Amino acid sequence: MVLTSTARKLFCALVSIAPLLAASSTQAAQTYTLKFATLTPQGTEPMNIMEEWGRTVKEQSNGKLVFKFYPGGIQGDEPEVLKKMRFGQIQGGGFTGYGVGRIYSPARILEFPFLFRNNKEVDEVRAKYMPDFETGFRKRGYELLGWSEVGYIHFFSREPIRSLDDLGKRRIWLWQGDPLSKAWFDAADLSPISLSITDVYTSLSTGMIDTVYATPLVAMALQWYTKTGYMTNVPMANGIGALVVSRRFFDRLPPDLQQLLRETGRETGEKLTAVTREDNRKSLALLEREGLDFVLKPDDVDQGEVRELSEQAATRLARKNYIPKPLFDETRELLQEIRKRSPSGQPGG
Amino acid sequence: MHNAAIIRFFNGKFLPEPRGWRRRNPGVSLLYCFVLVSVCSVAALGGCSIKQMGVRASLPMMEDGMEAMNRESDLDLAREAMPANLKMLEGMTYSDPDNDALRIYAAQGFHGYTFAFVESGDPERAKGLYDRCREHAAAALKPDALRQGYESMPLDELQSRLAKSGQSDVPALFWTATCWAKWINLNLDDVESVSQLGRAAAMMERVLELDETYFYAGPNIFFGVYYGARSPMLGGDFTKSEQHFDRARELTGGKMLMVDVIEAQFLDRQRLDQDAFHNRLVSVIDAPDDLLPEATLINLIAKQQAASLLEQEQEWF
Repeated sequence: MVLTSTARKLFCALVSIAPLLAASSTQAAQTYTLKFATLTPQGTEPMNIMEEWGRTVKEQSNGKLVFKFYPGGIQGDEPEVLKKMRFGQIQGGGFTGYGVGRIYSPARILEFPFLFRNNKEVDEVRAKYMPDFETGFRKRGYELLGWSEVGYIHFFSREPIRSLDDLGKRRIWLWQGDPLSKAWFDAADLSPISLSITDVYTSLSTGMIDTVYATPLVAMALQWYTKTGYMTNVPMANGIGALVVSRRFFDRLPPDLQQLLRETGRETGEKLTAVTREDNRKSLALLEREGLDFVLKPDDVDQGEVRELSEQAATRLARKNYIPKPLFDETRELLQEIRKRSPSGQPGG
Repeated sequence: MHNAAIIRFFNGKFLPEPRGWRRRNPGVSLLYCFVLVSVCSVAALGGCSIKQMGVRASLPMMEDGMEAMNRESDLDLAREAMPANLKMLEGMTYSDPDNDALRIYAAQGFHGYTFAFVESGDPERAKGLYDRCREHAAAALKPDALRQGYESMPLDELQSRLAKSGQSDVPALFWTATCWAKWINLNLDDVESVSQLGRAAAMMERVLELDETYFYAGPNIFFGVYYGARSPMLGGDFTKSEQHFDRARELTGGKMLMVDVIEAQFLDRQRLDQDAFHNRLVSVIDAPDDLLPEATLINLIAKQQAASLLEQEQEWF
């Protein structure tokens, strides 16, 4: 066969890029399955949003990246899910602060008790810290795709809590194995009763505990509110949530899929936050309709006392290397600046 | 097929007979019809309308058809026959709205049809049908204060009212709670729906106390799902769930295959126990069709659902 010079060049060029074409076609054929676990129950709006995320990713990746969801805690509670992620049995999950604390505990500054007063403060501080948090997650072997919330956490009690002093008279539940709440209760010289979340309802019934903390949505879904007549207006914290995948999985993805996962994850987190805030707002209205008395208005809280308690709790958490003290101090400064700019912010808003 | 077919659907032997009627004795039924018509003719002056007489006269004739439906072994026949009969039954409730037995039959009919033939393929439509089921059952709740306020009264007040209910209240409480819980389960994306679960559970708690055997150990199956379908971190309790399913199996002599199907679908899946899920469903499929002749239809539906769940095994585990 006689080839012209041009044809020969073209032939050579084709031969030389053939391995590349072969490689890319192999890559094109490669599909990735992301097994994603969450406590969020099937059928709820947040779960619908996550499933929509799965459909979007599948569509935009032309079927190369496919989610397989395990909702409602099917893969176990959060520590169990993290263990499975470490072993590569599943690749991703949606976590509450409880799980986030086991990945990168400094991020829990965003749900430090009595630190933030409203959503605006949370949003601003979070936006500033996100790059650092992403780096922190990455160093621990996880990729932070999106940030969400479980909502404002209030005290629900059998007797009214009209001041922080009243808290001392209550038998408060402590979520077993939660260092953040424990440090705060210790700082406040409270002696909470440590129980698994499964024992809360029964323990409220028997009177072993008479005060719990939860989002309005959780208090309603788990029917804790039926055992408590009062809820504090002032929230204790704004519970965080995160959408995470293991780096072992993420690093194997081609760059376009990494980018797709990051972009859609961030958007999904934003949608989740919006719907959670709305659901919690509705839950508050329903709890009011159920006859719960809302107590402890912002003015009832001795800010000086709260500041002192938070300082002590921060010191304890820093000692345990859970939340670095400089991060706590910086957050307080940031909040002061925000409050100077818009001093009218009310808790839970 | 007769309206009665619907009535016995999912009913088994546990549904109380309509007031004052005897089963499967045409002679007795006709006699009752005559007596009733006569009584009603007199009582008409006191409020028994011709339509009500007609409705009440037709109740006993439903019995044979109910039994036939319950023994039906052709699912297609059952699926196609039920809607028209449901509408007719519902029409009868228009004529005699305070007839509790009729209301309970209508509730059961809507529940059975929706559960067996609608929910898995068309959850949106199932929401409306379960709601109608609840409305019919709730219409039979006693006393009036409970009927009018069960959706809104504070839970402790509901519980104290429920504490006063007795054996005769079981059907209305059971079907109200069952259809309500099914409706809530299909509306989990709505916070307000979720907030109602405590009331439905309180109702079923009372049924469990009054008659745990009702409708093939239905109260035990309810709590098997209630505790088994969610993570312990969200209030689930697998031990309690298992105890309720075991009890349901014991009370039905292991012949009600739906117990196993529901345990696989909810508890085994939640526990991520693939072996238990698989083995339980395979044993349902392998069971004889006539394991419980008087409930052949429900067992056949159980088998069909078992096969459908097995198709999802690879996706779920």
